[in-house]
Amino acid sequence: MLWMERRVVTALAGPDDKRTGGAITEFVDSSFAAMPQHLRLGVVGESVLLGAYVALRYAPRPSDDDVLAAMSAWEHNPIGVIRQYARLLTSLVVFAQQELMPE
Amino acid sequence: MTRTLSTEVLIIGSGAGGAVTAARLAEAGRSVLVAEEGSWYDPDAHEPSSLDEFTARYRHQGACAALGSPGVAFAEGRCVGGSTEINMGLYHRLPERFVDQWRTTYSIAEFDSATLRRYADEVEAIVKVSRLPGAPPESSAVLSRGADALGWRSVEFDRVYSYDESGHGTKQSMSRTMIPRAVAAGAVVQADCTVRSLIRKGRRVTGARATLRYPDGSTEPVVVQAEDVFVCGGAIQSPALLQRSGFRHNIGPGLKFHPTVKVAARFDHPYDHEEVPVQRVTEFDPYLTIGGSASRRGHVALALVDSAPGDLDRLLEHWQNVVVYYAAIRSSGSGRVLAIPGLQAPLVTYSLNDSDLSRLARGLVHLGEMLLAAGAQELFPSIAGGPIVRSRADLAQWWGALNRTQSNLMTVHLTSTIRMGDNSALTGADSFGRVWDSDNLFVNDASLLPDAPGVNPQAAVMTIAARNADAYLAR
Repeated sequence: MLWMERRVVTALAGPDDKRTGGAITEFVDSSFAAMPQHLRLGVVGESVLLGAYVALRYAPRPSDDDVLAAMSAWEHNPIGVIRQYARLLTSLVVFAQQELMPE
Repeated sequence: MTRTLSTEVLIIGSGAGGAVTAARLAEAGRSVLVAEEGSWYDPDAHEPSSLDEFTARYRHQGACAALGSPGVAFAEGRCVGGSTEINMGLYHRLPERFVDQWRTTYSIAEFDSATLRRYADEVEAIVKVSRLPGAPPESSAVLSRGADALGWRSVEFDRVYSYDESGHGTKQSMSRTMIPRAVAAGAVVQADCTVRSLIRKGRRVTGARATLRYPDGSTEPVVVQAEDVFVCGGAIQSPALLQRSGFRHNIGPGLKFHPTVKVAARFDHPYDHEEVPVQRVTEFDPYLTIGGSASRRGHVALALVDSAPGDLDRLLEHWQNVVVYYAAIRSSGSGRVLAIPGLQAPLVTYSLNDSDLSRLARGLVHLGEMLLAAGAQELFPSIAGGPIVRSRADLAQWWGALNRTQSNLMTVHLTSTIRMGDNSALTGADSFGRVWDSDNLFVNDASLLPDAPGVNPQAAVMTIAARNADAYLAR
């Protein structure tokens, strides 16, 4: 996973990732590794560009709240691939969170 | 030196098409090797629709999509038994209205209702088509209750399930039915075997180049020599393999599927979540079907996150009160599968037209009407920021909300990328699946169906695969 992807997963999962021994991050990581290469390439491109934006916009150290604010804005971005980027990461984290967390 | 395996018939893929082909050919005394890209799992090893199952038995862990406006997420199995291991075991014979239509349009020889019925009978005797013993669970009863209240028709699905005396059901997937029959008749199943390309000599295919994966992570390139080859990798992988091997004539265009929109319905008390609802609303057949979906905690969360992202934690406190339902349409749009040089996964595109979107919106509204009539308190559509519905009056908002930018659609029934029939201008294979431009290369899976039939295509795939296997044996 790239820096931006890891930051998003950490921010979305919060303390749940530690509670699951990092299994949420691991699931998202393995999902990216399993994706068709051309889709993964697109996600990598977005992670680099959006990561650069977040790093500059919230310099020097973006907090989890900063990352969540950026994600929230991207969910309503007029550019389709940016909305889909936000949805993909949110879906992977939410699914893993609910499947892996004890009741 | 690359190791060489030899067989009379190489079958690539072990899903509904490949497993039926393997069983019939092996039982007729042919030497058969089945090459399956995925691993061979105990069918009870993973809970249905769980994260573990996604990780182990879904291609790309379930994270794949047809590109378009909007994109459509789809899933395929990648294990011995193929998608029959991960689907819900719902079973529909090919609706008879399509038989005449397809035969005429695509000039499919010996394709008539009586013939298909005979093969369906044979397949069903093996996979044990049945219905739930006793009363349906409440998540299923929602569909009949809502339909009844609105004066709509609904029916219980047939399923490929075997029930014991206590009523416990076991899905009769390919790894429990056709694959054991094939193996008992002498077929060899080579799991963890990725076929990279077919080896051509003029109009003949002499085998395939493949890679074997071992548990320690190592790999071994092999060549599989065969007198005849059946490609049964499904409507995405089969055309991709053929394209990589130089076969192009009508290979890959015409992809069809059932675009599907979902709704999470919150009720005032907990519902069952163990099984997928087995009822479906047939009032709008064949253009629109309403049914129930997997509703584990993770799926409920996914279904809620589009329209209630800020309220997710509160809703999930009582996630057992929420069940996921869907509306699926027959689409007049179509797509394409395109192998990209150097990449294993093909590019998949799909163009939904305005008529499809209009039909999906109608399906969404009908689904909402049905759920409210059945007693749902709140409805959450799979539309980003989609309006939450609490009354029939609210439903009007969904007509405009389902659009190209906000909708999150999915599908599982992928067909029609190598259509069958003797009209070679429209098809990629003849009436029995032989690929044009080859004398001994056959396709025998969902790719052959001329269109998506509006229902789960597993039965149609198995029936046609049995018919085509017999035609091959009779040559």
